[in-house]
Amino acid sequence: MAKIKVARKSTAIDMTAMCDVAFLLLTFFILTTKFRPSEVAEISIPASTAQIPVPDNNILLIQVNKEGQVYMGVDDQNTRNRALPKIQSEFGVQFTEAQAKVFRLLDAFGLPISQLPGLLSMESNDRAKAKQAGLSLEVVPPNQSEFMRLVEIYRFANEEQRIEDGRPPEDRMKIAIKADKEADYEIVNEVIAQLQFKKINKFNLITSSRGAGDSGEAKE
Amino acid sequence: MAEMNIPEKGGKGGKKRSKKQSTRVDLTAMVDLGFLLITFFMLATTFSKPKAMEVNKPAKEEDQKVEEKPIKQSKTYAIVLGKRDMVYCYVGADDDPSVKVDSVTFSRSGLRSMIVDRQKAVQEQWGNKDELFVMIKPLPESKYRNMVDILDEMAITGVKRYAIIDEFNPIDSLIAVQSGNRLRPKKGFTSLEK
Repeated sequence: MAKIKVARKSTAIDMTAMCDVAFLLLTFFILTTKFRPSEVAEISIPASTAQIPVPDNNILLIQVNKEGQVYMGVDDQNTRNRALPKIQSEFGVQFTEAQAKVFRLLDAFGLPISQLPGLLSMESNDRAKAKQAGLSLEVVPPNQSEFMRLVEIYRFANEEQRIEDGRPPEDRMKIAIKADKEADYEIVNEVIAQLQFKKINKFNLITSSRGAGDSGEAKE
Repeated sequence: MAEMNIPEKGGKGGKKRSKKQSTRVDLTAMVDLGFLLITFFMLATTFSKPKAMEVNKPAKEEDQKVEEKPIKQSKTYAIVLGKRDMVYCYVGADDDPSVKVDSVTFSRSGLRSMIVDRQKAVQEQWGNKDELFVMIKPLPESKYRNMVDILDEMAITGVKRYAIIDEFNPIDSLIAVQSGNRLRPKKGFTSLEK
């Protein structure tokens, strides 16, 4: 009996094209990913069914951690730049050129302003590790709290920048509050009360999204 | 195919022949790695996007204060938030000591059904469930999460009219005392209110 010869075929597949596609996609995702900026405080945000995306840019982000410490920062570097001389004159602190440079790159901070130059002259690694005590919410008449004065400075700086850039009024800086879910209500309420005192009545509370299915169910 | 043909040089003359080696490389592992990283970046990009909850507080304009019409108590519902995720709700009556206060938790069978029941009651009495006005009164010791949850609950149950109120009436004080909540905020706070 004559055997039927089955032609032996190699099972190796050419992977080149697949590899190309994989790395093309990889490049795309790497380029489009916006990495989270180094965080000044550890905050785990509450979940809600809200579906509005957080505005990407031009926001004043106020962060409240579990212990009720308050941190603040603006994402726009031009605004930071403009705010810098005002902070110096308002709070009577002096920044060196090197410290000013660091300030422009600092996303957020939260400590009494008098300690700010100290923070700015740290090495960047130490700064990330440094424990910041939070902005002061305390109102000492006749002065408003450092928090309020800082909000005022940032808003004013941002408004100047907006007018110089010729952007429409809708492009005003938005206020976002990112508070830890375990933060006491009274602290968040105080932050909101102080903002309202500054005639800011519209806020974005940053929450993580939650599916409609499990909403409202008791957590933990 | 990813093969390169290396031309052989000088076949004649009995010269030394270099060994022919395949230049094929097995790319499977590289593809694996590529897709692993893709997966990572895909997940990292799209799923960690936080959402915003918009809150509009009424402006505090002392000079042009418009006297608002008082809301009928039969249209209201007061929700007091206490510590340890407890919720106390009642149908408002400032000076009625016999008011029935329900204490519930944040859950579908708890708070959610209380709100829905109240909506039905308002619907029956006034013919429109949107007439319901919910007064949210977080006590100082409640957590921020509770406030977000209650605002969320308003969105889920479709309550159109609600407000966060920081003033407490005698009933709220009684609830706070009985549930062991502090009624006054910490010293040095809300000094701006006045």
